[in-house]
Amino acid sequence: MDAVLTPLLDILRPIGITEPVLQFMLVNAILGVSIYLTLHAGMFSLASAGFMAIGAYVGALLTQQSDWPLWAALLGGMAAAGVIAVPIGLPTLRLRDIYLAIATIGFGEVVRVLILNFDDIAASVLTTLQGERVRFRLIEGARGIKGIPTLTETWHLILFLIVLGYLLTRLHRSRFGRAMAAIRQDETVAANMGINVVYVKNMVFILSAVLAGAAGVFSAHLTRIITPAAFGFDKAVDILAFAVLGGTSTWIGPIVGAMVLTAMPEVLRFLKEFRGVFNGLVLLVVIVYLPGGLVNPAGWSRLWQRLGRAQTASPSPSTGVD
Amino acid sequence: MRKVCLALSFLLIGVLALPVLAQDMETPQMGWWDECATPENLPDTVTIGVVFGLSGPISVYGGPQQQAVQLAVDEINESGYLGEGTTLVAMFEDSAGDAEQAIAAMTKLVEEDQVVAVIGPTLSTEAFSADPVAQENGTVVMGVSNTAIGLTDMGDFVFRDSLPESSVIPGTIAQATEVLGLEKVGVLYGNDDDFTLSGYDVFVQALEDNNVAITNEQTFARGDVDFNPQLTALLADEPDALVVSALAAEAVQIITQARDLGYEGPIIGGNGLNSPSVLEQSGDASNGVIVGAAWNIASPDPLSEVWVSNYQAAYDATPDQFATQAYTGAWLMATAIRCGDSADRTAVRDALAAIQDFPTPLGTFSFDEDRNPVHTPVVQIAQNGAFGVLGAEE
Repeated sequence: MDAVLTPLLDILRPIGITEPVLQFMLVNAILGVSIYLTLHAGMFSLASAGFMAIGAYVGALLTQQSDWPLWAALLGGMAAAGVIAVPIGLPTLRLRDIYLAIATIGFGEVVRVLILNFDDIAASVLTTLQGERVRFRLIEGARGIKGIPTLTETWHLILFLIVLGYLLTRLHRSRFGRAMAAIRQDETVAANMGINVVYVKNMVFILSAVLAGAAGVFSAHLTRIITPAAFGFDKAVDILAFAVLGGTSTWIGPIVGAMVLTAMPEVLRFLKEFRGVFNGLVLLVVIVYLPGGLVNPAGWSRLWQRLGRAQTASPSPSTGVD
Repeated sequence: MRKVCLALSFLLIGVLALPVLAQDMETPQMGWWDECATPENLPDTVTIGVVFGLSGPISVYGGPQQQAVQLAVDEINESGYLGEGTTLVAMFEDSAGDAEQAIAAMTKLVEEDQVVAVIGPTLSTEAFSADPVAQENGTVVMGVSNTAIGLTDMGDFVFRDSLPESSVIPGTIAQATEVLGLEKVGVLYGNDDDFTLSGYDVFVQALEDNNVAITNEQTFARGDVDFNPQLTALLADEPDALVVSALAAEAVQIITQARDLGYEGPIIGGNGLNSPSVLEQSGDASNGVIVGAAWNIASPDPLSEVWVSNYQAAYDATPDQFATQAYTGAWLMATAIRCGDSADRTAVRDALAAIQDFPTPLGTFSFDEDRNPVHTPVVQIAQNGAFGVLGAEE
């Protein structure tokens, strides 16, 4: 793997993409796929950040407190996110569109506040049980869990994404993948065609949670510290932006979107504190001119046509008033 | 003709030398420390990296920190502190308060730009993410605003010049107990923030060490505006003092609401209360607020007075504690480069660790064996909208 990675990094380094940046790009690509799955089945869910937090905390506790290897902690984090997704998905997936978005934002906040107060809650429960004052420290609230070993390596992430890509191509050709597409087009029609809408939507929600959990485990073992503040509303919106920029017509879209949005602040470091403006600007331009996202051939050809027509329609643009 | 020339040149030398002499006698300056000789083996430019949060919400702290470091670097270069022909360059990178970006910035500086040493990052959470990158590459990293417990445990290349809460608060409590004769207190703290939470931990320990009983503990969250329920519960036990671990915004509300409830005793706070804006916004209610701090703008230290006036002259603003610590950090780093007479990373580390009794705006400064700062904190009490030193007015 190093034989591929070293020359790749040699190419990327001059433009500001060092190995840690590449690693965060790949982690965010997994998050992009996580939100893509729900969007592809017509669900506007912003729960990925919350499930990422669950994966990160479970994974970090498993490697740090129980000395599990990374792969086992990865499975543990993914399983925890998936299991919690079941009781969350069943009631909230009855909501649609913006209402689902609000409910899932609420879920993210609940996760964040629970992490903040977990030790206090546990302490008061223990105090009541034992009858004397108990101090309990496990997940450290706002202090965050520190000193997490950096076990994630770049090839883990590349391998994970390759397997994920293969599974996604298979998924789209499968009965389940077509059912997802059908539900996105029209839920009622899909139900009338005999698709078990509740089952498909919940399965997709769980899969999306599992992927976010995996991203959380990987990310915790890169950043060395996890705090609840890192998985708040801001993170949920960042993840949504991956899908908006890349487009959701194929699974490549959110991966490209995630990688571009993660790399851009680093590539544009020479712009100093104004570099943040560019992420917003690029998003705005893409939303206006390429509504289907960056990875959307139809959108590009439409844009191309528009540009061509604009040129033929007004040969001297300087005289144009509008 | 020759005589005239000679006379003229003497006159010229005299005129040029006069203000220098006069200045030397009046105001002390940074870099007067002559423990080590002017270095001779340094390259033409010595580059240090600086990681601060320059964009986003934390730029409130990162911006003044950047200005402070730049001011120090300019002074160091003007005074020839690193010897003839050697220029110190500070390479600033933005971390935006984000752990991922802090890692990226640190990696860029340490691995790509090959800087001699790094100052920053602004937040403790960023430091816990990014400092190991410097440690793994054998590069000094000095936090100038990181106050979390255990920061320098990350490795022998990790330093800080910002007094952790664990150093400021025990002194505050000990002195307050002595002056005010505290026996029982009520504790109010924010439990959703790293800063207020570590402050709370140290308060509890310090109160225990000084045999002060805690009658009740209450919590709040960042963004809360109504503290009446918590304050009523705390005041029901008639404590000798209220101990508050809060950030500035909540602190203002807590102080004014406690006074509205008729409480007149002292309010002992953590570093979050150490801000002129807290006093300003809470008005007369702030009388009796006691805060320990690494530094205060009213500090009578002559170097501190020079620093404040230089900063005001350069940026038309008053420096805060974090800017002062950043300024001190840049001078400490330059001193390590000067005393090590080398731009080698390990030599800088060894020279930095050896710094003892260095005069700074924070007071006489040393590093302890764990690379944490040693200098005397100030215990301040608010009177009529300004901080004075506790116990001095009696």
